[in-house]
Amino acid sequence: MALVEQQRISSEQWLGAVRRARDDGFGYFDWLGCVDEIGRSATFRIVLVLRDLDRPEAPPMVLTTEVARDDPRLDSVGSVFAGAGWHEREAAELFGVEFVGGNPRRLLLSPDFSGTPLRKDEVLAARAATGWPGAKEPGEGDAPVSRPGAPAPSRRRMVPPGVPDPAVWGERDPALPPADPAEVAESAVGGRIRRNRR
Amino acid sequence: MTGEPQRRTPGHGSIVLIESACTSCMICARECPSWCITIDSHTEPVADLPAGARARTENVLDRFAIDWSLCMYCGICVDECPFDALAWSPDLASPAETLAALTAEKADLAPDQ
Repeated sequence: MALVEQQRISSEQWLGAVRRARDDGFGYFDWLGCVDEIGRSATFRIVLVLRDLDRPEAPPMVLTTEVARDDPRLDSVGSVFAGAGWHEREAAELFGVEFVGGNPRRLLLSPDFSGTPLRKDEVLAARAATGWPGAKEPGEGDAPVSRPGAPAPSRRRMVPPGVPDPAVWGERDPALPPADPAEVAESAVGGRIRRNRR
Repeated sequence: MTGEPQRRTPGHGSIVLIESACTSCMICARECPSWCITIDSHTEPVADLPAGARARTENVLDRFAIDWSLCMYCGICVDECPFDALAWSPDLASPAETLAALTAEKADLAPDQ
């Protein structure tokens, strides 16, 4: 028996498919979440898990849909499962997905916070501005690496997780257009920055 | 549960540095999610090399500090250290009057005994 029953649904048919699943017996809302698919596709995946409490042994029903990153909007399922409202509000503020017809209020973040913290291309600006203790190489003292007259570092610079390569974000050539979100996300995983950029 | 007020934690009270094992490799400082470990080191030529051997240098640890005001006691540094130079201690980090005084230096981080 399959561990989960999964259905991929187009974003236009989302609300209808959720209602149909409820009417098919999957009447217990488990959770709803969002996944940033950057690097694979320019979309957010919305995942909804439903259970049938009359058949506890039955696998949960997993409904997924994808919405475009540049215009992420989806019909709210709050009218089908009222409990999904909290999950949608969380996904809305953390990923910037708009749930049409849902409760537009914030759930966790303060009202004056701007940004979408769980998008993979979100730069941790406070980290970029703070000195990272791990930027030093073994055998390096407390003097900054790039002081004038210092010998060139023999190895490539390290950046902490959450801070992109300065050549992509921060010290980017002003003549270039802003970096693609996928490029920012790819370079913000931490470690040594690439020597040669394509 | 009514325990004695000064009860010690079972083992995850603070982190100690076994300085002789540390190679200043920076792995703990880079893995630390809260950026609480600061390391300064320098390189020195290895003195007692056999005659004719190529000159080599080794890292010498100058400063190792954990800022207990930032540390979240996750233990990632203890797990990541390839030389077992960091270990859990049941003793708690000592309280301090100011934020700056919560930074424990090499001497404070040495294990008892």
